[in-house]
Amino acid sequence: MAMTVELPALERTDAMTPSAASSRLRRYAGPALGLLLPVGLALVWEVVVAKGWSNGRLVPPPTKVFATIVELSKSGELARHIIATLSRVASGFVLGVAAGTLFGAISGYWGLARRLLDPTVQALRAIPSIAWVPLFILWLGISETSKVALIAVGVFFPVYLGVMGAILSVDRKIVEVGRTFRLSGPAMIRRILLPAVLPAYVVSLRVGLGLGWMFVVAAEFMGASEGLGYLLIDGQQLGKPAQILAAIVIFAILGKTTDWLIEIASAPLLRWQDAFGRQSGAT
Amino acid sequence: MLALDRVGKTYPNGVHALERFSADIRLGEIVAIIGGSGCGKSTLLRAIAGLDRASTGSVTLDETAITAPHAKIGIIFQEPRLLPWLSVADNIGFGLSELSAAARREKVAGALARVGLTDKASAWPRELSGGQAQRVAIARALVPQPEVLLLDEPFSALDAFTRRDLQDHLLDLWNDTRPTLILVTHDVDEAVVLADRVLVMRPRPGRLFEEIKINLARPRDRNSPLFDNFKRRVLTALDRSLDRSVPDADAKSTAGEAMWW
Repeated sequence: MAMTVELPALERTDAMTPSAASSRLRRYAGPALGLLLPVGLALVWEVVVAKGWSNGRLVPPPTKVFATIVELSKSGELARHIIATLSRVASGFVLGVAAGTLFGAISGYWGLARRLLDPTVQALRAIPSIAWVPLFILWLGISETSKVALIAVGVFFPVYLGVMGAILSVDRKIVEVGRTFRLSGPAMIRRILLPAVLPAYVVSLRVGLGLGWMFVVAAEFMGASEGLGYLLIDGQQLGKPAQILAAIVIFAILGKTTDWLIEIASAPLLRWQDAFGRQSGAT
Repeated sequence: MLALDRVGKTYPNGVHALERFSADIRLGEIVAIIGGSGCGKSTLLRAIAGLDRASTGSVTLDETAITAPHAKIGIIFQEPRLLPWLSVADNIGFGLSELSAAARREKVAGALARVGLTDKASAWPRELSGGQAQRVAIARALVPQPEVLLLDEPFSALDAFTRRDLQDHLLDLWNDTRPTLILVTHDVDEAVVLADRVLVMRPRPGRLFEEIKINLARPRDRNSPLFDNFKRRVLTALDRSLDRSVPDADAKSTAGEAMWW
């Protein structure tokens, strides 16, 4: 999730700053106050290692992490790992969103379906999703399918809950306006329900995507020959902390970028909202 | 003509909100319904709008029984209830989806000019003041040219100055096409300045208590002694309607006319 992904900021990596900067700049339009701490710590650590006060073997200095990224990308390794991870997240996300939207809409719209379906979904939600891993491996083998399935499961729940909750909380008074203008069922969905649900839906997509990034790591831990998660495991087993940090930094950049893409894509549809109006105004 | 025949409503939870309410309302008439809280004013209005079905009796508009929202009946609520994701212009054109885009644009432009909000056409509802938003709601309800316009305490959330302004404006708009206006209010001043007829209701269960005709030429001077006189009559009726010692039979004799069963 976004939070786990932003943690490395504490670990003094200055390659972290571009993504943090883009979000900070947008929000505060300039004051780079938030950058002071991570950049400062990164600089301090760089100096400490350069002066030889620490050997920097377990916590490599920012330049070393950056050099690892450059090295990996020169050999084409990095692109291969990124593509593998991205395609897993993308397929899992699409599947999870499709299923979550469908079931969420059914549960939100039909009281009977909600009473029938929702308790089961809520019970399944209570299971920590990583607990499915052994079962998925048994069923689907250590394959792409089991990885995508795990990511889809992670994405499904927030989207399902978001859609159902959004439909349930649509303002009855606004629906009544639709009734007084005698909207048919489909027109009511298209002209009232969909636009009313959209802001919460976008939020649930962003939460879902965050979980998707979290689960791709879990999925790649359970046996993969490529992907950023593989880089993490590989770095641990071969004792290459710079490679681990490089993978973490790339996770942060990818996570932030994909989240930002959803925000950008939905902004024109949500211009009417106070919060979004202010944000897009600042960019 | 709008005919209300012994309209009654008991909610599923057993609350007896409205009992045998009858009235005939001519096309173009302005009727104010006034009464203390819990006297079934809003229930009655929602039954006329077709939003909630009456449990007994019937609402008929020109021989058509009203059981669901009807094209010729518009409603304005206490809150503007604008759709926040549509611009002001699109909100006004919301009920005109059958028209071509060009015809709709023309009607919306006309309505915007009529309520004095042409410069707000592309604004979002959240950018409007309370009075402006309610103007948009009025324009939205009027633009499909309903025969009957129902207003459920439409100005009660506004400050006194804006309220007066909108009352005058409403009369102005009413004069364009002369629809029937049925206005639920708890503001005596508003009832007397707008209505041809004030129907005073009494609570628990809600029923008609007294009918007062306001025979005053428009525009009405809020400061004239005659105006005060009508206000006093309505106030007296309201006081009596809340007094449990006044029997209903008495109301029947004072109200008179063909309204009573």
